[in-house]
Amino acid sequence: MTIATLSRRTLLQAGSALLASTALPTFAFAQDAASGGRLVVAADSEPKNLNPAIVASNGVFFVASKVIEPLAEASFEGKDGLAPRLATSWEGSEDGKSVTFKLREGVTWHDGKPFTSADVAFSALNIWKPLQNLGRLVFASLEAVDTPDDTTAIFRFSRPTPLQLIRNALPVVSSVVPKHLYEGTDIATNPANVKLVGTGPFKFAEYKPGEYYRLAKNENYWNKGEPKLDEVIFRVLPDRAGAGAALEAEEIQLAAFSAVPLTDLDRISKVPGIKVISKGYEALTYQLVVEINHRRKELADLKVRQAIAHAIDRKFVVDTIFLGYAAASTGPVPKNAPEFYDASVPTYDFDVDKANALLDEAGYKKDANGTRFSLKLRPAPYFNETKQFGAYLRQALAAVGIDAQLVNADSAAHQKAVYTDHDFDLAVAPPVFRGDPAISTTILVKSGTPAGVPFSNQGGYANPQLDEIIAKAAETVDTAARTELYKEFQKLVATDLPLINVAEWGFITVARDTVDNVSNNPRWAVSNWADTALQS
Amino acid sequence: MRLVRNLIGTPEGAIGLGILVLLALVALFAPVLSPGDPLRIAARPLLAPFTDPSFPLGTDRLGRDVLAGIIHGTRTSLAVGIAAALAAIAIGLCVGLTAGFAGGLVDEALMRVVDAFQIVPSFLLALAFVSVIGASVPVVVIAIALGAWADPARLTRAQVLSIRERDYVASARVIGTHPVEIALREILPNALPPVLALSAIIVAAAILTEAALSFLGLGDPNVVTWGSMIAEGRNVLRSSPSLSIFPGIALVVTVVAVYLFSEGLTKTIGRGRRIA
Amino acid sequence: MLLIVVILTFGLLESASGDAVDAYLLSIGGGDATVAQALRQAYGLDQSMMARLWVYVSSLATFDLGWSIAFDRPVLDLILERLPNTLLLMGSATAISFGLGSALGIVAGAKPESAVDRTLSTVSLILYAIPSFWLGLVLSIVFAVQLRWLPTSGIETIASGKEGLARALDIARHLVLPVGALALIYMALFLRVMRSGMAEAWQLDFVLFARSKGLSRSRIVLRHVARNALLPLVTMLGLQSAAMLGGSVVIESIFAIPGFGRLAQEAVGGRDAPLLMGIIVVSAVLVICVNLIVDLVYAALDPRVGASESAG
Repeated sequence: MTIATLSRRTLLQAGSALLASTALPTFAFAQDAASGGRLVVAADSEPKNLNPAIVASNGVFFVASKVIEPLAEASFEGKDGLAPRLATSWEGSEDGKSVTFKLREGVTWHDGKPFTSADVAFSALNIWKPLQNLGRLVFASLEAVDTPDDTTAIFRFSRPTPLQLIRNALPVVSSVVPKHLYEGTDIATNPANVKLVGTGPFKFAEYKPGEYYRLAKNENYWNKGEPKLDEVIFRVLPDRAGAGAALEAEEIQLAAFSAVPLTDLDRISKVPGIKVISKGYEALTYQLVVEINHRRKELADLKVRQAIAHAIDRKFVVDTIFLGYAAASTGPVPKNAPEFYDASVPTYDFDVDKANALLDEAGYKKDANGTRFSLKLRPAPYFNETKQFGAYLRQALAAVGIDAQLVNADSAAHQKAVYTDHDFDLAVAPPVFRGDPAISTTILVKSGTPAGVPFSNQGGYANPQLDEIIAKAAETVDTAARTELYKEFQKLVATDLPLINVAEWGFITVARDTVDNVSNNPRWAVSNWADTALQS
Repeated sequence: MRLVRNLIGTPEGAIGLGILVLLALVALFAPVLSPGDPLRIAARPLLAPFTDPSFPLGTDRLGRDVLAGIIHGTRTSLAVGIAAALAAIAIGLCVGLTAGFAGGLVDEALMRVVDAFQIVPSFLLALAFVSVIGASVPVVVIAIALGAWADPARLTRAQVLSIRERDYVASARVIGTHPVEIALREILPNALPPVLALSAIIVAAAILTEAALSFLGLGDPNVVTWGSMIAEGRNVLRSSPSLSIFPGIALVVTVVAVYLFSEGLTKTIGRGRRIA
Repeated sequence: MLLIVVILTFGLLESASGDAVDAYLLSIGGGDATVAQALRQAYGLDQSMMARLWVYVSSLATFDLGWSIAFDRPVLDLILERLPNTLLLMGSATAISFGLGSALGIVAGAKPESAVDRTLSTVSLILYAIPSFWLGLVLSIVFAVQLRWLPTSGIETIASGKEGLARALDIARHLVLPVGALALIYMALFLRVMRSGMAEAWQLDFVLFARSKGLSRSRIVLRHVARNALLPLVTMLGLQSAAMLGGSVVIESIFAIPGFGRLAQEAVGGRDAPLLMGIIVVSAVLVICVNLIVDLVYAALDPRVGASESAG
């Protein structure tokens, strides 16, 4: 069936399979969405390894998620916040030692071979567990994957592994790659890591380094009627001002991940034909965090940490640095994770007098210049906002008599200085909350992580009580009990301040009005875009 | 003093020197003209220029006073430009003097190093240097100097070669003056003027390089520079163009002044030589 | 000479904080110590500095530029992919700025201190003082976004399937703005050098002689004065080639042109020593070639230049 002959009814049916709800305004367009066409999207990086089964990062997913699919994708309305992809159902055992996945039938790889449970078993045991940056943790105790038939995969764990964790991690850690291309090869250098072969709605067509990635429609996609687009092109635009200009000039139709700077949004939203969308990043919440080196004796003092927390005007950060496209944080779990979020934690209002009083109490009096002590402050260079917050924090600390010297470094140097050499007193970091605190959040505060691990606790903080909660939650199979433990975790972090959570933000998508079905799931930018369409 | 008088005699020199003196005064008295940390958050963000008398040029993204930034930026930009030029000239003079005076193998070896530095694009070198060492004012100065010392070295050597065969040097050698003394007392003062004329060009280039580095995010975050102001303002270029226009104007005026000054200097020296 | 360049670059990257593995781990959003160890081993980063330098230099002797860590591809391939874009950008910018600059320089220098001369001198001075990134930004906003005459960025229309002449025209359209930004600034430089060369040439004996012979002014301007003033300009071209190659970094970044400068930026960011060294070695070779050509041109222009005097 060609696109042109697709009837309105087929489109509706196809749509309803995934999009049960029409709660989103954009869904109103779904039935009218014209098919075909080429969507050109701004991309700011070119990952050298594009295989999402090995590198589970947003930069890779942005391109690769259209080609290679996970077992399930995040969803606004689906059960457990998931929509089925390659798996149609999943069920955990009582003891937490096995999870059974029912797989989708009639799915073929882009090279024509059938997709079976053997591919899932191979991906899990040979790639996710040993090679993947996040899977290594989530599947740490995965022992075997049984494949009684082609559409059943049973994951067996040596220790109880909470189904809640597996579920929350599925969209990120479960990208399935074809066993027949990887088996018996050196997985890390397999050419398919660049020329992707998957089951997704788009096939990998072409890569011109420094210019673009081209993905072409998969005519045999398992969900008939999708994808809507003929082509998706990721155009490399490394300069941040470039995306906005290209959108206005109609050279591209969409820029995700705040490729258009926040400061330009107000203006560009008034340009006819362009829409600014802040939805679609709910499962990719970034957190603005002040990392603290507890080896500094001043910072080992809780009063000093509380004073710093009181010195930060979160409203200013949200309104001025993020221009309102963020929310103030209360603790280590963002509000976007309602399953875990607990608002009843100690909070720190902006109160310079109180901060000064706390510092006086701690015994660090102001000297003749009004300075109590000096600190080295390293803002992470990855985002404009982290750098700006660094500049703001320096001023906020000056107001309470702490002299912070900013150290700017590029990504590699920052990484080494903070996470390997511990050459910092305060650092500004943007960790990601990935749907479950156990994936990439607890590591920020638990002790015992060796030096050299990025985005982990390298501030020398150790709290046995906190470590115990984290360890217990990792093995608690019962969802309610596990959630309760994480609420305790949040309280403890907010009380003892191993780090200071300042704000949390999602990214902004800017698109031409002609692009339909944008931001209709919580990981939209890194989902498969099967239903995304262009009005003709 | 005669040099200064002659310099003012040329229109270029007079204008250039005038602007530069003004800029130097602004730089010197920056703490008086605009007391306090220019990076402090002083008012509502993105205040338009010419609307609030206490912030005549408005405020930036975070509410920092643009005028204060430009005043203090004069300091950094001039300091970086002059320091980098001084460093480049100093290295260049030493290397050029040594190479020209020692001759032979030393000359050969040093000139190969000069060649090496001349064929490497200096901005690439500065970019690599600053990104790997980390951005701070001294590092930026060294990075710029590293890319700029080769020209003065070559020029000095050429001067030395032409001077060292002259009579007065030969006679000094005959009466047994120590070579180092000859180099410093007889050759250096005579080799200096053309190198100095070159130095003005190096200052201008250094100011522009610093701005370009800051533009790419490789400036020192603890001080204001015009380049970093332009880079900051660039994100709001479309909605608040003034944020990058004012520091841009300051930059252009300074660089023009330095060029004019150097042209006046070249003319003066040229005239002096013709008279001699 | 090239060896010195290589050792310098190598030393610089060695002294850097953070290595290629740090940069890579960061780009994938984290990883543990065992991954880092394994990666360092795979890239030979666990060996001593001297050992790696030796390996690099000896493979360089066989024209092998090594393997890029950040891109996981041969350095030579990467460079050959990007080089044409930069050469095209720099070549056209140089040709235009040289042509226009010398022509305007002749106009200005034909009558030193005239009104035309003063106007051109002032304009060129200001142009030369404008940072290239600033000019690039303004040009792009005016001509690409507001007027939409030209594309905002890129080297050609992506995946257009254009061939032959159509493709060449397409590339030319994309190059107008970046080339314009670079050419305007260098034009100012060439104009100034040409003009001052002409001003000086007026004082030369043979020009005075030609004037006294009563030759027509335009003939003197073109035949004698301009020809003489062209010599320092040609020398300048050689000297500036290194600077221009470096100056394209910012322009390539603003206009998203996949060229040399951007590759260098990526190499530095990724702490990719082989790639950065490859880039620097190749650009050094380029500069040497340009200077060789300049020497030849110089010799052709100036009959006085014998074997003894080099133009470098």
